Amino acid sequence: MTRPVTVETIAERMKEFGTVEQVRKNRIRIRTVPDKIHDAITTAQAMLGFDRLITISTVDNGETLELLYHLIGSHRIIISLSLDLPRDKPVTPTVSDLLPPAGIYERQIHDLFGITFEGNPNMKKIILNEGWPENEYPLRKDWKPNAGVFYGGIKVERM
Amino acid sequence: MGVPDTGMSQRLVNWARAKSPWITVYNSGACNACDIEIIACLMPRFDVERFGILVKGSPRHADILIVTGHVTLKQASRLRRVWEQMPEPKYVIAMGACGASGGVFHGLYHMVESVDCVVPVDVYVAGCPPRPDEIINAVVTCLNLLEEDAAHGGKEWRQKKPATGVDAEGKSCTVVS
Repeated sequence: MTRPVTVETIAERMKEFGTVEQVRKNRIRIRTVPDKIHDAITTAQAMLGFDRLITISTVDNGETLELLYHLIGSHRIIISLSLDLPRDKPVTPTVSDLLPPAGIYERQIHDLFGITFEGNPNMKKIILNEGWPENEYPLRKDWKPNAGVFYGGIKVERM
Repeated sequence: MGVPDTGMSQRLVNWARAKSPWITVYNSGACNACDIEIIACLMPRFDVERFGILVKGSPRHADILIVTGHVTLKQASRLRRVWEQMPEPKYVIAMGACGASGGVFHGLYHMVESVDCVVPVDVYVAGCPPRPDEIINAVVTCLNLLEEDAAHGGKEWRQKKPATGVDAEGKSCTVVS
């Protein structure tokens, strides 16, 4: 029997990937960079028993787009691996080869925030309608509907 | 302005149609509360089947289309196709605050302004969600319209603009397929 996973062992194991911070009792946040996210998830899965991806969430905090991968295991501790991506060129490698359901989350984030996941095999639209124009990301804070652009569905003409 | 058909068979059809309206329900992106109220209509307390109101699964069998909720951009063309599949004469009830103006979803990035932009609406039901007796009242209002239309020989006497037309002043809506 291996020794139980505690907050301390997680902090010890994950500190090579970035700064570790205990947000609440069972929640740990690790600030890492896009190049290390693949290894960080592999380590968390193989060594620490974080075998389930809850979700991938995104925060638009003004200057950057913050990507958060929430992972949980049978020990009920949640780690959030966070990435800061620049607004003008948000690119990060995909994790859908490690966690196949992540591919769907990545497609949604690509639709709504415009983050590109390199290596995702099926980067099509999933949540927006078919006629949605390119380079319009509606959940970014600085996005406004453009009066001259047709967003799909039906066309309403005002005179 | 059409001429009313007063033949024996047509009068029989009009009578039968008004006595047993068949309904199809289309959820175009609502929160399901309106659908639950429609289910409450079918349950023994309100029991609309004693009035001959039947809920059918296919729009090809239905006289009245109930649109519950706002219309998302993705659903707009689908709702239009459901409406096109219904046989004439067909009537549309837009249900709830969302069906009239978008409700709490008004002005979001993925929304059509109202059901009226996609299909021509005959009756609006207020409420969030409407009570079952208000839904029954809306269907009965539709039946009065149906009888008046049969007496006038068509819907044109109400001067309803089709959803695809461009009228002279004010706003108009066109469907892009």
